[in-house]
Amino acid sequence: MSDDPDKVWPTGLTLKEAEEVHSYLIDGTRVFGAIALLAHVLVAVSTPWLG
Amino acid sequence: MNNAKMWLVVKPTVGVPLFLGAVAVGSFAVHVAVLTNTTWVADFLSGSSASDDSAALATDPSILPASGTAAAELPMYIEAGADGSQSMRVILPDGRTATLVVDDLTQAALLQ
Repeated sequence: MSDDPDKVWPTGLTLKEAEEVHSYLIDGTRVFGAIALLAHVLVAVSTPWLG
Repeated sequence: MNNAKMWLVVKPTVGVPLFLGAVAVGSFAVHVAVLTNTTWVADFLSGSSASDDSAALATDPSILPASGTAAAELPMYIEAGADGSQSMRVILPDGRTATLVVDDLTQAALLQ
């Protein structure tokens, strides 16, 4: 494993790799949020939750 | 995206499952809380309709309470019994009729 100066410890990822991982996590969270929003709308419409 | 630097400190193989696990546990806890604090989720899961009270009123005419908010909303047309006895004919708005037997002046029971 060549000693890459961009690697940052303790994880050994480069900042670019960290941002890539993070972007996937952010996108996943957005998809989760959209699905949850749809679920809440359906529950609000079809149950006595909001009267 | 300044939070991305967290992955320079926390290994993604540890952080990502931890993050997703926390979301799952939190979501599960919310579902349990809603299940235990409402009646309609348990009703839904056991297959009975969400709004039992009004449904029963709509389908089962004999459960029309003499004094109840539902009765108050339903206009009734009452005419004295033909033979003038202590019973009265109640004509409900949807055309069905019922006999209202007055046991005594203070209490009324609706019979079908």
